[in-house]
This record gives sequence, C-alpha cells and structure tokens, in this order.
Amino acid sequence: MHDIARHLATALVTGLLGIAPALAASDDSDLDRIPAQLPPPSPPEQTSSSSKDVNYVGDALTLLGNRSGLAVPFPPPDPASWENWLYLDTRDEWRLGEEWRLNYSGRLNFRSSNSIPFPTHENVRNDLRELFIEWQPTEATWLELGRVNIRNGVALGFNPTDFFRPRTVVEALTADPSVLREDRLGTLMLTGQTLWRHGSITVAYAPKVTNPSAIYNIRDELSFDPGLDRTNAEDRFLAKTSLNIAEQFNPELLYFHTGNRTEFGTNLTTQIGRDVVAYLEWAGGTRSDLIADAFRYGEMTGTLPAAVTTLLPNSTAARFRNDLSVGASYATGNNMTFNLEYHLHEAGFTSRDWSNWFNTSVSRGFIPGVNAALWYLRSYAQDQQEPISRHSAFLRWDWQDAFVKDLDLTALAIVNLQDASGLVQATAEYHVSRDWTIGGLASGTYGGRRSEYGSLPGEASLLLRASHYF
Amino acid sequence: MRHILLTIVAVLLATAGARAQTPHDIIAGADKVRNPGEPFRSTTVLTEYVQSKPKDQTILAVYSKEDKATGQFRNLVRYVEPPRDAGKMALLDGQNLWFYDPAAKSSVRISTQQRLVGQASIGDVLTINFAIDYTGTTLGDETITDAEHQTRNCWHLDLRAATPTAVYSRAEYWVEHGTFWPIKAKFYSDSGRVLKILYYRGFTQRLGAVRPGGAVIIDAVDASLVTTVEFTNPTFQAIPDFWYQRDYLPRLRPE
Repeated sequence: MHDIARHLATALVTGLLGIAPALAASDDSDLDRIPAQLPPPSPPEQTSSSSKDVNYVGDALTLLGNRSGLAVPFPPPDPASWENWLYLDTRDEWRLGEEWRLNYSGRLNFRSSNSIPFPTHENVRNDLRELFIEWQPTEATWLELGRVNIRNGVALGFNPTDFFRPRTVVEALTADPSVLREDRLGTLMLTGQTLWRHGSITVAYAPKVTNPSAIYNIRDELSFDPGLDRTNAEDRFLAKTSLNIAEQFNPELLYFHTGNRTEFGTNLTTQIGRDVVAYLEWAGGTRSDLIADAFRYGEMTGTLPAAVTTLLPNSTAARFRNDLSVGASYATGNNMTFNLEYHLHEAGFTSRDWSNWFNTSVSRGFIPGVNAALWYLRSYAQDQQEPISRHSAFLRWDWQDAFVKDLDLTALAIVNLQDASGLVQATAEYHVSRDWTIGGLASGTYGGRRSEYGSLPGEASLLLRASHYF
Repeated sequence: MRHILLTIVAVLLATAGARAQTPHDIIAGADKVRNPGEPFRSTTVLTEYVQSKPKDQTILAVYSKEDKATGQFRNLVRYVEPPRDAGKMALLDGQNLWFYDPAAKSSVRISTQQRLVGQASIGDVLTINFAIDYTGTTLGDETITDAEHQTRNCWHLDLRAATPTAVYSRAEYWVEHGTFWPIKAKFYSDSGRVLKILYYRGFTQRLGAVRPGGAVIIDAVDASLVTTVEFTNPTFQAIPDFWYQRDYLPRLRPE
C-alpha cells in the first residue's frame, strides 16, 4: 500500500515538474494493474434489464435472553427464548399490456419457537404485503387499486408522516426501523399520482372493510389471513404534494384524515456542505394522549374492561399534539454515514406517566389483570409504531465495505431522553457471493429497573441469518 | 518545393491552432466525445477485480439527460444486478440527490459525499460534464500510454472543483491532441489523496460519434482493487424532465 502511495506521489510531483519520462514509468505501473482476465459473461441483456423482481429464501435464528425481577411483572405466557424463521420473500411485477401492471410483494414464513407448539397452523404464516393493479393512462399519471404500501417520511428512526404505519408490522425480527419497514403490510386502497417537472400530487383513499381487532400475539395469528383488520378498520384519506422549489429544497406537504382525526405534516430536507443532509419531519393533529387512546382501543376490542380507564391518569380531551423527527446525516470519505435524530411524540409518556406506570404496579399489581393492563399500553404503542415516550434520540452508524469488500456494518441506539435508558443493536452483513448473504445481529437493552428499556423482559438477543437470492 | 512549404505552413498553423485551445475548450471537447448532447440510456456493466480476479459484477441502467439550464448531466441510475440490489434507484441531479430502496419503499436524500459511495457513483461520474464542474489549467503536453498500450500525445490538465456539485475536489486529466479523446483521469480526495485512476478505452462508434466504450478504474487506496466498466446497449431515448425528481424513482421501470 505504501509503495503504491509513494509511486503516486512521485508521479504527481514529477508530473507537476514536467518530468515526463519519470511520469511515464509510473503510469506503466498503473497499467500493470489492469487485469488480463476477462470478466465473467453478463446475464443476457434482455433478462437482466427487464426485471426488477427480487426473490430470496432465508433463515433467521433468534436467541433471546430475558430479564428477571422485572419492576412490573410481565403477564404470561413467558416470552420465547428462541425462534426460527424460514421464509420465502418475493417482490414481483408483471406487465399486463402497455398501461397495466400487476404487483405482488409478500413473505411466506415457516416459524418455530419454544413458545408455540409444533406442528400447528401457527407454524405457517403468509404476509401479504402488496397486491395491486397499476394503470398508467398517461405518461405522468398512475392509478393503483389493491393492497398498496404507501410510506411517507424522510427520517430514519421515527416517521410521524408515515400515516399508514399503525398495526402494519407483523413480526419484528429487529429493532432497526428501516428494516421494520421492509416487512410490513400495505393497505387496501385506491391511489392516484400525477407528476410534473416541478412536483407531484398523490391522493389515496383506504376504505373501512372490517372492524378493529385486538392486538395480536404470537399465539393467535392466522396462517393465510390477509390481516385487513390491521390495515382497513377505518376510512382513511391522504393527500400530499411534493414541490421541487430548488435543487436543495423539495418540501413535501401532507394532509391525512381518519375517523374524527385530521393531521397535517411536512417533510423538509436540505444538503449542508458536501457531507451533511439535514431533515425535519413533522406531523400534528388533534388527539388524546397515548394512554387514553390505548385504554379506549383495549376496551373497544374487548381486551380490557371499561373500568381500566381509571387505572392511570390520562387525558381523553383531544387537543393539538405534535410529532417531530429532526436530524442530520453526516457522511465520511471512507463510506461511513452517521445519523442523529431527536424525536418528539407529544402524546407519549411523560416522566410522571412513567412514575405512575411503575407505582400503579407496586400499589395495585396484586389485583388480577392490573399488570396485564399496564403492559397493554406498551403493546399498543408498539403495535401502532409510536414511540412510547415523549422525548427520545436515535443514533445510527453505517459502514459499507467495512474492513473488507462486501462487509456492511450497522449500529444503532434508541435512547429515552427522560430516563437515559436505551436499546443498542449491531448488525454485520457479508455478501458472500452474487446470490448469498449472511449476517448476524446482536441487540440489548439497558437502563435502571424503573426505566423504559430497563423494565423490558427482553434483555439481549442474538440473530443469525442467511439469504439466498434467485 | 512549393508543396513542402505549404505543408510546413499548414502544420505550423494546425499546431498553433491546437496550442490556442484553452483548458476549458479541451475539457469541453472531451466532454463532447464522452457524451452526446441528446438524452440517452445505456447499460453499464461494472466488474470488480480483487487481486486481478473477477469478484463482483454490478449492472446499472443509466438514464442521462443534459440540463439545458446548467449544461450538466442529470442521471437516473437503476440497479439491475446483483439480485439483492435489483430495483434500487438513485437520482443524481446536481445537489438533488436521492436514493430509493424498493424493499422499504422509501427515498432518502443523500449528500454529495454519499454520492461517491457504491457503484452507482461510477455510472454517474462517467457521465458528468467536467467542463461545468471544474476549471482547468494546462500543465503541459505529455505522451502517455493508454489502457490498450498505445502511446497518446495528450494535453495534461489540472482540474479544480468550481461548483458545489463537483464530485471530486481535484482531478488530473489527459486528453489527446486533435481527437479530444479522454485518455486518462486521476481523482483526488479533499485531503489531496489520490482515490482513483481512470483509463478510458474501447473507442468505437456509438451514439453518433466515436466514443469510449468502457473504462478501467484503478483504486489508488486499495491496491488490490480494479474495476472495469463496459457501456453496453447505448440508445438515444426521449426522457421527460419530470423523471428527474424523487417521486419518479418508484415509477422508473425497466424498458
């Protein structure tokens, strides 16, 4: 390495001094590195360029270490200590004439765990992420009908404007929000989009086709049910426009309405210098707080008794509340990218809410169902993909081609800024060949016994996975 | 005798004309050799060699169009190979830089620095007009050996970034006298370290003129790494301006 650098330095210096023969000698050493061996033949052009389909089979084994002596005892059944997922992941598109296309995206899982019996129907589950018909009547207009995954937001750790996210993540193999988005259900809807040089307009209407259902746990999921109760239990409407005002400024404005709730949102990004991208994602609307929402949902779906609403102080009064993700990414010259974000979820738990949550278990936890109701609040926040706490920070670090070619490393941390507890996760992924990728993921939670993350049953986990693309 | 005198005069005039080329003229002339003025699509096949052995292959479909307002190229890059990356897209338009991942169905704005990460940057860098992003000075004339071991009499230029969109802060550039064929380039980091040495090769008739059909990129940081580039299936294609925005990325389909 040092020899090469020395040669290059010599070439540069002599070049600048105009000493041509010396430079020519250095150039020759560059030329010696041009490989004589021919590259492998490329896949046939027609096949390779006409497909954007991605299909792979994978296996993921997770080992989980659970905490004992929880501040708020976790209701039975005990969390699993191991799980294995064998899956076939498919993303395909078929052209049906000039203007029509059919899109399918899904994952067929075969799962086993020490928390579910074997063999049962629970071992097989199909996640129908997307299935829709797309019609392109003009060059710049598209209409889609079917289950579509519309995702909004420019932040990484929390997306306030991702209005269709509640209840869509079927099973979390990782805490990485960007990976969670990859295996979530779309919503049955009709969408329309038109583009022009300086912007776009998108509208989507998702009808209510069924009633809200109770939050699922690992034991009561159905094998081939499309899960419309997760995604289409309310009428919802979205309109958004993105404006290309300047190269560095393309704001997106959003309007969302569901039931009796209306929200507005925006996504702003800009580059600062060569290395930094700053972004802000905001949504706001009138709503009650997370505790009131969760108790209401639990009561409505028959999970919690009506009396539960007095278990913890909460604010059923609807008022304007903000959700915010603001942050920046910083890229270095050696393929590393850092992201740091601050998250505000105004409907989330305050420090007082957390004290109430722990104290209620101490004072009334002996009453049957009280601890389960307390844990229900956390399940609800997770199911809704909402941060449970009001203030949090998110840090992510990515390194492509770390140390060796084709090795990608990621580390992330989610920190509760109120009690300093958090979750950390590290991922390594190595692309062994064109078709094979292997990886590992380790994660852990830390914090005091009466903190958000220190009170979780899951203390540490290790996941190993392999994927074969075809 | 009269013929000889006329020939000498013609040669002197031609030489004088050639010497009168400004660095900008030379860089712009080489830009015209590398890329046509009309929008086009090509498939870029990148083969990475580690210790002289082929390892990874990446195939990109690149949709390029010159922005008449800035004179710079705007690029849409679609990953075709390897299978794990199929369908990923990048919008590379000045400082309007976005990366789209179909698995997450999301677009993320990237910085100029991130533009350099990954193989898409190669498809991108090979298209941009250097005359827009760089100011040049002539360091002198130099006879160098090209990738096919032919000697070439070149202008040797020093290029400095003139716009915030310039991908590299500095480059050296060798352009052949007379033909304006780009022969070689050397790209530097902000700290002055050589990052890549690039040789154009395979000059053939494509997209209406004789243009390079590929390139060899020698990694100056990792001595074991060399990437070869082949431009295949170049085709003129009408590309609407509205393609060059974030919301079009999910809509970009294989032709």
